[in-house]
Amino acid sequence: MSETNPDRDELRLNAALDDELDAAHRLELEREIADDPRLSAAMDRLSAVRTAVRRHVVADPAPARLQVAVAALGRPRQSRLRPALALAACLAVGVFVGAAAQTVLSSMRQPGAVATALVADFARAEIAGRPFDVATSDRHVVKPWLATRAPLGVEAVDLASAGYPLAGGRVAVIGATPVPTLVYQRHEHWIAVTELPLSLAGPSWASAAALDGFHLARWTDKERAYVAVSDIDSPELTDFVAAFRVAATAGASEPK
Amino acid sequence: MISDAARRRYQAIVPPHVDDAYALARWLSGSPIDAEDIVQEAALRALNALETATVEKPRAWFLRIVRNAALTWMAKNRPKAVALAGGIDDLATLESSEFSGDDGSPEAILIAAEDGERVRQAIAALPTPLREALVLREVNGLAYREIADATEAPIGTVMSRLARARATLAKMLEEKR
Repeated sequence: MSETNPDRDELRLNAALDDELDAAHRLELEREIADDPRLSAAMDRLSAVRTAVRRHVVADPAPARLQVAVAALGRPRQSRLRPALALAACLAVGVFVGAAAQTVLSSMRQPGAVATALVADFARAEIAGRPFDVATSDRHVVKPWLATRAPLGVEAVDLASAGYPLAGGRVAVIGATPVPTLVYQRHEHWIAVTELPLSLAGPSWASAAALDGFHLARWTDKERAYVAVSDIDSPELTDFVAAFRVAATAGASEPK
Repeated sequence: MISDAARRRYQAIVPPHVDDAYALARWLSGSPIDAEDIVQEAALRALNALETATVEKPRAWFLRIVRNAALTWMAKNRPKAVALAGGIDDLATLESSEFSGDDGSPEAILIAAEDGERVRQAIAALPTPLREALVLREVNGLAYREIADATEAPIGTVMSRLARARATLAKMLEEKR
């Protein structure tokens, strides 16, 4: 036999072990094994190696977050928001917020540069499979983490009870300004809420809009503007915004 | 921008094989954390490729992308390990796979096989071309033809690598410790 290459018998034994021999060759080999103790011992040895490998090489399933990230890449972009739906979304928000804060509903201008930047940020994070820089559902970790990078004005509210667990936080960048972003999870989807100073928020646009297949919602309070970007559909995003605003308002009135 | 058609093809091909991809990436890179990065990189490559590619054997096709992403990753992050593993031409000098039906014993291997850590270390120590063939066969359960597709190698090479991988493992497990 050759010094460096497995010889023909060894290849045949391996092929038999892997069930890659056709019936005729298998029969032939089995007869040879029965007549040749050397071949028989080699086959036992190969079987022992296989037993060892199969016993200890267990294929763990991919972690859930990897499954989610891989599946997210292939989700078709949702169709642009239909005007009727946009109007309904505006009304839904309007009815809800009424007393809570001033909401810009009158202007139906298209989202501007800020929205475009936030959507790009969201898409990049989603494709990279890293929707947040700090991954934790603990709001007492997220807020301090952001405090040294891009401080939040509101509480980092956890909305797990409403079906939107806090997944983490990240810093988005508008121009050269870092802005704090909270990331929430809804099933396999992400919702990013970015807080902006009013000076940076740019001209107001409809409170609900769609850009490049992502849905956006925007609202303001006295000092800040907020933009939510998500790949969930528009009515769901409206529900989320409602839940977020209720919780944030409640959080602000709590003693710190 | 990726078209919706490409995303649909991706959805049918890639997510169903993410467990296989992760197992392969894990055994090639030796690290569960790095395996996640490798699979994500491979998924992105697959999505981009599906803009134009037509795929006949989805699993072998995606595992080939995972394997290539893992090799790229290893060349970048573990240049020493890759250099040690060498090309397929260097394999002859790394180990001789003499047909050794008349030395060693299945019993010694089976005793060593009780020690899971020892078996895993022995597999991890195999040169990359041997390890990937073994993992694709024993962990992913691919047929020879599919392993040939996934590793872009002729089927004879696949057979030879598998035989060498097992002969090398047998020797390592037979050694007394």
